[in-house]
Amino acid sequence: MSRTRRDPREEREARRLAGSGRPRWRLDAPPTSGRLRRDPRREIDALRVAGTTRLRLDRTGRAGPLALPTIDTAAVAAPTIRIVDDPAYLVTVVPDAPGGRLAPLDRQLLGAARTLADAGGGAVLVLSFGQIDGLGAAGADRIVALDAESGDPSARAAALAIALAALQPRHMLLPESAGGGDLARRLAAKTGEALFAGAESLTARLATRPAANRRIEQRGAPPRLVTLAPDAHLPHAGAPHEARAIAAPEGRADAPHTGILSIEDLPVAADALPLAEADFVISAGNGITDFELFRALARALGATPGASRMVCDAGLMPRAAQVGASGTVLEASCYFALGISGAPQHLQGVARCEHVVAVNTDLHAAMVERAGLAIIADAQQVMPALIALLTAEGEE
Amino acid sequence: MKALVLLSDGRHPVSGRPAPAGTELQAIALARGLTEEVAGLYAGPDAAAARTALGHGLARLEHRRLPEGDDPLPSLAAAIAAAAPDLVLAGRRAGAGAQTGLVPYQLAEALGWPLVPDVVALTVADGVLEAVQALPKGARRRWRVKLPALVTVHPAAPVAASFAIGMARSGHVEDAPGIDAPQDGTALEERPYRPRPRLIASAAAGASAAERLKAATQSAGPGGRVMVDPTPEEAARAILEHLRALGVLKPAPGRD
Repeated sequence: MSRTRRDPREEREARRLAGSGRPRWRLDAPPTSGRLRRDPRREIDALRVAGTTRLRLDRTGRAGPLALPTIDTAAVAAPTIRIVDDPAYLVTVVPDAPGGRLAPLDRQLLGAARTLADAGGGAVLVLSFGQIDGLGAAGADRIVALDAESGDPSARAAALAIALAALQPRHMLLPESAGGGDLARRLAAKTGEALFAGAESLTARLATRPAANRRIEQRGAPPRLVTLAPDAHLPHAGAPHEARAIAAPEGRADAPHTGILSIEDLPVAADALPLAEADFVISAGNGITDFELFRALARALGATPGASRMVCDAGLMPRAAQVGASGTVLEASCYFALGISGAPQHLQGVARCEHVVAVNTDLHAAMVERAGLAIIADAQQVMPALIALLTAEGEE
Repeated sequence: MKALVLLSDGRHPVSGRPAPAGTELQAIALARGLTEEVAGLYAGPDAAAARTALGHGLARLEHRRLPEGDDPLPSLAAAIAAAAPDLVLAGRRAGAGAQTGLVPYQLAEALGWPLVPDVVALTVADGVLEAVQALPKGARRRWRVKLPALVTVHPAAPVAASFAIGMARSGHVEDAPGIDAPQDGTALEERPYRPRPRLIASAAAGASAAERLKAATQSAGPGGRVMVDPTPEEAARAILEHLRALGVLKPAPGRD
């Protein structure tokens, strides 16, 4: 009995990939010998637990058998916009979006809506009160702009009730924030829909929420109306969606409640605000000597004054003004650091701030590295210039 | 003027003993700032928690007896219609149970009254209620509504009066049967609470302590603009421009 002679060159030639100048072979295809070729790196990659930089492997076999990768010989195209043309159902989202910008919770909400929609070929529809930026990248397929003229939440709830009746979405998600939670409860009371308030996990089949002072977890299939707790879902990280604007559903809103005479926003007294609540914080460090000037600048900018540990230890600012790990951890959107080098404990207090502006004499300070705009100068000299500029603008 | 404070069958978050919710006690303090005529209203099986609220400044408590698990809404609506108060105050969330915070909204819808959420201050003049609503980031909003109205109280409202055992014992409880309203059996499944990790969209989640500290203290994006040794005027102009581009500062007057 004789065996046919193998020609390795011919076998390799059969696996040659067409289309590129450089010779490439399809190495993972099962060779003719019948013995599967293992690629240990690919196996490890398939077992890798997502979301960690440390190597963690899931060896329980939940990942399923390894599928052969399909090698796309065509050049990788630029990231395309995902379009859902004929959705099986709709998942509507009502983001808060203060000032027309998506808040972190709004992004998480859109991420959750994306999971609910992708579970069955649905589309995410955003009901927005006013213009909102960056909805496509956050995962929205359609946008319906609703009338935002009235700040009255009961009028907004009425508009949402009309949209709910006209669009018949499978789910309507709202953030469990001050505004979103209020709107969701008004809508639930108005329409009689069941409300799943403050969901801490949310999938198409199961949602959970805490109850009875976090002693009990209630769980069940999510109803139509759901509010999502903060940090319960990751934001959408995939390809951007088209965010196509469509017309608002027709419907006649009932007249606003005659009992409501007026609703007006009050000016925020920034210097009396607790640091944890402040939106814009100006902070003094060891590079500041004139604290009267610093307070005048804080008043002129309308910012809440804070300080570093050094300054509070010296008794130049009250202890309540201390920013950092042993003081207040800020939730502000902007942090203006004057004469602060940025010790790690201080930077932890600034970690959740979106924007940082720093004025410091040291180019290599950690705060300069953290800042979106860093000025390498003496803060003591910049402060009067800022006040002079602001007063000159005010006089114009 | 007559005010009614809605009370829940609260439980202390740590000990689990009957105790009224914090915002309900703050609601009592707010109502007593407006009028002397403040009563409590509770619909449910056991008024142990609501009785404790008597010691925090309530003179009278109306208890509508209901079997365990019944919907309190019809009883509350009927009691409010009978008492005809000018103002009904409620806490933000109940002190126990499902804690969805829905009852004040359903009640306002049933009564047809305006509802002001998250109130921290109240004044009344000529039948018009002026309420200040607390919003995130220290913002406040003023509502002017015609009485009768319903408000829910925010934890940032003035602190509640401390407990006085004499008041709690001399307080009067009016016990009356409520309106039975059995709820349908489509309740959610309940299990002991299991805390879930907060999901943070960061590459360093679950990484070593050093990497997490780095992620917490360094900026996510590439470093920003650095100006080395500008004159103070240049620096001031650059800072104001930057702050205005971020939307933190209002545009300069006369610019738009």
